[in-house]
Amino acid sequence: MIVLQLVVNGILLGGVLALSALGFNVIFGVMRVVNLAHGDFVVIAAVFCAFMFAQFGINPLLLLPLTIAVGFGAGALVHYALLRRLPAEVASGEAASLTLTFGLSYFLVGAGLTIFGGRFVSVPFLTGAFHIGDLSIPQARLLAFVVAVALSLVFAFVLRSTVLGRALRATSQHLEGALACGIDVDRVRTLAFAIGTAVAAAAGTLMSFLYNLNAQQGVLFTINAFAVVVIGGLGNYTGAVLGALILGLTEEFASYFLGATLAEAAPYLLFILVLLLAPAGILGRRTA
Amino acid sequence: MKRALLLALAAVVVVLLVLAPLWLNGYLINLLYTTLLYVALAYGWNIISGYAGYFSFGQIAFFGFGAYATALLVADLHWEWILAALAGGVLAAALAVPLGYVMLRLRGPFFAMGMFGMAQMVRVLVTAIPATGSGSGLFLSPDFGVAGVYYWTLAICLGAIGVTIWISRSAFGLRLQALREDEQVAGTLGVDVTRAKISAFVLSALIPGLLGGGYALFLTYIEPDAVFSSRLDLQSIVMAILGGVGTVWGPLVGGVVMTQVSEALWARFPEIYLMIFGGLLVALLLVLPRGIVPALAKRFAAGRKP
Repeated sequence: MIVLQLVVNGILLGGVLALSALGFNVIFGVMRVVNLAHGDFVVIAAVFCAFMFAQFGINPLLLLPLTIAVGFGAGALVHYALLRRLPAEVASGEAASLTLTFGLSYFLVGAGLTIFGGRFVSVPFLTGAFHIGDLSIPQARLLAFVVAVALSLVFAFVLRSTVLGRALRATSQHLEGALACGIDVDRVRTLAFAIGTAVAAAAGTLMSFLYNLNAQQGVLFTINAFAVVVIGGLGNYTGAVLGALILGLTEEFASYFLGATLAEAAPYLLFILVLLLAPAGILGRRTA
Repeated sequence: MKRALLLALAAVVVVLLVLAPLWLNGYLINLLYTTLLYVALAYGWNIISGYAGYFSFGQIAFFGFGAYATALLVADLHWEWILAALAGGVLAAALAVPLGYVMLRLRGPFFAMGMFGMAQMVRVLVTAIPATGSGSGLFLSPDFGVAGVYYWTLAICLGAIGVTIWISRSAFGLRLQALREDEQVAGTLGVDVTRAKISAFVLSALIPGLLGGGYALFLTYIEPDAVFSSRLDLQSIVMAILGGVGTVWGPLVGGVVMTQVSEALWARFPEIYLMIFGGLLVALLLVLPRGIVPALAKRFAAGRKP
């Protein structure tokens, strides 16, 4: 019975992790940038929602359009004003973008602590649970899962069926080819970063009623997103969803059977093993 | 002439650093120690990540490992602290051989994040062992004094600079740079790629491993978050990058400048320190993407032209 409960919990957690990882993935896929500030965008959105709930009693779901819009704007600004200006051929290419997003991460943590303080907060929202036999399904988790799946479907639709989505995929698959087709790659990259950040902010909004957070917890979500994306294969969106489910299940099982301390190592062990044994991700198609 | 002048200047600086504990007070000697620690950490990172091009976010694993090994040897087995710290460094370097063999098969961001995960795993495992006091940490006798630790760190720092100078002039250094530029081509040209990068990785583990023991004695109380500190790791990386990745003097310049900036910001604006530090980092990166040393070298080279 406990196994079934853990499976349910893992899947519910996986849905939200998948949303966060999709944002990370679109940025990596299009720009080859590992965004170390990803988790900080997630956490800032979460802490903001908790603040709004505590101060004004605003339901975080109502804030979703706002956090998505602000995330989109912030992402576009970060790419347009900062990342775009890095010279293309700096020695060992990823070093510059890693450093830049690392600096950005520090900046966001500092800003978050200054504005919202260091207290761990969450939104005490839908604290009840549905019961099916012995199985209990926390309402907040279920809601977060449903919204995350809905947003992921919107994301998938944009990526598959719109002109922008086609341009995004073209740029990540073949840069020269995209340029030759007349795609404004610079603009596509700005949009990719904006979309990735907007998705992070949306995921953060949902995290606000799942976790107790303060602005310093961002690195946790960066690592989770990275692990998910590595498991699924960088730039592979179906793989990322699968990776999120695997990570969600691993976390639930590890923390139940190994205790909280050792369970902390589980996502790291998982992604190092995947990197070494199946470097192209479990679906085996390396698009990166 | 110019060379002799520089050598004389370096000698004067070293003599001043050796004499410093005789007349400096507590705060300044701590600041000097912190600077040396960051400079040496940056040099350690620069070998594997600067010269060999394997960008690592996990060298702090060896620092924390050395710190815990030293603390255990001193507290439980009552070793002389110098021997214990030496053993901590050697053990960290020994750990780096199998780890390097596995991890250096990864490349680019995969290696970077894989090393981050590896460091977190080493931290969790060390925390899980009861002998290390689990998560609650270990106390060391506080009567080692700062001076011993200071000289220890100074010696490692000078050693790290010496090793880097040697690398920059040796065939080993050329092998590392060849594999950084193109590992496959280096391999076909007869470079034993695996051996070269594992050697670099071990050197990049030995330096933080040796430093870790000193740091444990400096703190007199260690806990996982203090010695497996990602802040220590990332700040030393930032210093190497701002000074100039893969250059001989980049870590020194970056480390000295950034430690002072960081300490001054911390002293004056503790509540918005992180924000300013992060913003400054981004700004410097945009202004000097290759680092301070290459930018200065370029300016001097340009000035010399008739």
